Amino acid sequence: MSPAPPRQRPYWTALVLPLALYLIVFLVIPFIHIIVLSFYTYSPTRIWTPELTIANYVGLADASFLTVLLRTLRLGLVSTLICVLFGYPLAYFLARAERRVALIGLFFLVMPLMVSAVIRTFGWLVILGRNGLVNGAITALGLERLPLLYNETAVVIGLANVFVPFMVLPLMASIERINPALEEAARNLGASWLATFRRVILPLSRPGLISGCLLVYSAAISAFVVPMLMGGARVRVIGRQIYDQLLISYQWPNASAIAALLVIATTSLAFFVLALMRRSARQEPDA
Amino acid sequence: MNRQMPALLKPFVMLTYILLLAPLAIVVAVSFGASPTFQFPPTELSLKWYRGFFGNPEFVRAFFSVSLVLGFLAAAMASLLGVTAAIGLVRFRFRGREALEAFFVAPLFIPEILFGAALYLTYARLGIKPSMTSLLLGHVVVCTPFVIRNVMAGLVGLDPRLEEAAMSLGASRIQAFLKVALPLIQSSIISGFIFAFIISFSDINLALFIAGPNSTTLPVYIFNLLLFEGDPSVAAASTLQIVIVGLLIWLVQFLFRPRALL
Amino acid sequence: MALTPTVEEQGSAPELEVRNLVKRFTAQSVVGPLSFGVAAGEFVSLLGPSGCGKTTTLRCIAGFEVPTEGSILLNGLAIEGQPPNRRNIGLVFQNYALFPHLTIFENVAFGLRLRRVGDAQLRQRVGHALELVGLPHLAARYPRQLSGGQQQRIAIARCVVLEPRILLFDEPLSNLDLKLRLAMRRELRELQRRLGKTAVYVTHDQGEALALSDRIVVMSNGRIEQIGSPQEIYERPANAFVADFIGSSNLLDATVVGTDGAATIINAAGLTLRAGVVGHTAGARILAMVRPERIRVAGTDAAAGDNTLNARIREATYLGQDLHLTLRLDGGQELSVVTQGSAARRLVPGEEVVLTVAAADIFLLPK
Repeated sequence: MSPAPPRQRPYWTALVLPLALYLIVFLVIPFIHIIVLSFYTYSPTRIWTPELTIANYVGLADASFLTVLLRTLRLGLVSTLICVLFGYPLAYFLARAERRVALIGLFFLVMPLMVSAVIRTFGWLVILGRNGLVNGAITALGLERLPLLYNETAVVIGLANVFVPFMVLPLMASIERINPALEEAARNLGASWLATFRRVILPLSRPGLISGCLLVYSAAISAFVVPMLMGGARVRVIGRQIYDQLLISYQWPNASAIAALLVIATTSLAFFVLALMRRSARQEPDA
Repeated sequence: MNRQMPALLKPFVMLTYILLLAPLAIVVAVSFGASPTFQFPPTELSLKWYRGFFGNPEFVRAFFSVSLVLGFLAAAMASLLGVTAAIGLVRFRFRGREALEAFFVAPLFIPEILFGAALYLTYARLGIKPSMTSLLLGHVVVCTPFVIRNVMAGLVGLDPRLEEAAMSLGASRIQAFLKVALPLIQSSIISGFIFAFIISFSDINLALFIAGPNSTTLPVYIFNLLLFEGDPSVAAASTLQIVIVGLLIWLVQFLFRPRALL
Repeated sequence: MALTPTVEEQGSAPELEVRNLVKRFTAQSVVGPLSFGVAAGEFVSLLGPSGCGKTTTLRCIAGFEVPTEGSILLNGLAIEGQPPNRRNIGLVFQNYALFPHLTIFENVAFGLRLRRVGDAQLRQRVGHALELVGLPHLAARYPRQLSGGQQQRIAIARCVVLEPRILLFDEPLSNLDLKLRLAMRRELRELQRRLGKTAVYVTHDQGEALALSDRIVVMSNGRIEQIGSPQEIYERPANAFVADFIGSSNLLDATVVGTDGAATIINAAGLTLRAGVVGHTAGARILAMVRPERIRVAGTDAAAGDNTLNARIREATYLGQDLHLTLRLDGGQELSVVTQGSAARRLVPGEEVVLTVAAADIFLLPK
């Protein structure tokens, strides 16, 4: 009884072809190029040296790079956890709030997300800076200024703040789909609020939680502006490494190898998580 | 429903919002202060940083001649490509349709720094000088998914019987689409356009890599000033950006009720 | 028993004819082959449970589905290859499908504008159509400002204004509440008579089909079970499915014993009964059908030749106008009986009663 699928004429090719071609030229080819380039030989005198080598990858197994890599992954993990901590209650609140409140809440969530990351970081610089809000209060109390900026904590604060909407939006969508009657049923059956959350809401909102974590984590480990402005030279992360090697030291094959590594890491993470979600979606067809 | 929320939820949500909005509020406050040291709270009110912003031709150029123009062009191109692709994806069944959809929204999930690096190296290889056009071509890639998501949501939410009704009243398939479906997804198209504009307007990651010396966007300019300790005219410029983005989001949310934000 | 009259038997050539229509979705999901005709001015319902293929049939006629086999003829001309917009067949949708972005006037004018009807004539025709459904004052409103019943009438006006060759209805009353449904039912029939349009009406509501139709096509599992007038279908169902689907009925397994004048003697559940039909050979296994309202309880008024049965009341449900009884016969068979709720004596479970059934009220069906 469902409406008929439109008749099969290949009109669709004309509709999807322009974008497909566009993305092939401006997205696929650049990524293939960067992977090819990661096998080129670095030479300080010639930019393009198409002698293939794996030296760029082997070179990554060096202590200073591994420090940077581990720091990046760690900062990503901590900021993702903080985003869950702050994002979950917010997502639940928005999903269950009455329509008008939810609209206003959503506005104040999406608006900061859409303002340039530079500007949001700038706000934190003013708050945490030498003459900023926090140090102003501290000196007013007659205490010593604290070095709040240019350390890992500052970077985590910045990352978590910038990316928390990435956590909230998919989570909210996921929680909205959970019938509120389920919560009421759980309460009616004697579950406390916490038990209801743990046994009903959390398992059913898992797809949203997973995709939120995925979005935040991959954004956090490839962040560049926040660590640069809030972490300074001391908190080097992969994004900074790529930027410097590309635009400052011109070690393009090396930068390509790092980028290729990051591409593989984020996409395999995404595929893994999506496969996981698809499997759990099959198990809970009505969720 | 509120009865069931634990007592601590609301205060915690308020705290989250304060943390989320504090940086923006402080930027706005600093822009109206008089102190040159980003003092907060400002001790006196002044518009001098706005005068400073408008008196700096580079700043004005970055804002009006680059970022705004770029945003509109990117949104227009993204809408053209995105709307047609979304129609093709929703209205036709063909093999590989889902994979194609994933491909089209993939730029949402690719870290921008990687895309920026990849595009930068490709341009370098082809000998293309960074310019406004090169940046525009990159922005279109990251803006289009927003158009696609919005338009697809609009089309999927549309009752297919409306077009069938039009056809039973004598409209051809194309007429039915143009006269019935298109007017009804107009708001989705407009909100897709606005989101695309904002994405381009706020972008920093791509612009850092592929903007040329004559196509410094506002975020890049602000970034450079922040690295080298600028004055609060940065705050004035940032406030203008916040206001524009805020107004546009408000417009989308309260006029069009978009179904797909992410 | 010619319970499914063919087109030829109706005399005049049908306006719409569905000939050996087959629509195959998957190997398991097949509609057809179906054949039926609709005479000019006739109101025909396609009635059946959901999934029986009635909507698919209607969509084939409207042109939204392409039949796998067979043909659809309108005034003798095959139309199954024509796109829906060339057929000039009006279709009223279940959810009305009014265009939310257009005013009522523009909704009704939609088809006329496509046909490039001049402004003066367009105004006049839209006005006339709106008057026909009694809503000329709503022309400037938008669909969402109208009630369900009003939207329904506009959906009809939007079709009628184009003077379609036939009108199709896809469960048009199913979204309305009961009272409005009954009122709209009358209005719809009256309108169809006044316009003299041929109509094909899809519904799963037997009451609606009985009340509206000249003839009913009963369908199940993609096949036609019976075609006939409401009376024929109710009084003389072609098989157990129709007997059960239209109204309710008691079906008893029975064997033909012999013939006695104008009646067939049967044996059902250990009882010997007289059924007021002939033409069954002795020994045949059949189904005996009795409508619950044709069974009389505690019949002191039994006429000669009526069947009498002893039964015990198991359950009595009082529904105001009616009293529904479930009874058990001596042989263990259960029977449903509907009797007047205002019956003088109160009937309670456990009570022994005598039932009477006229021979003419027992109908025999093939097994």
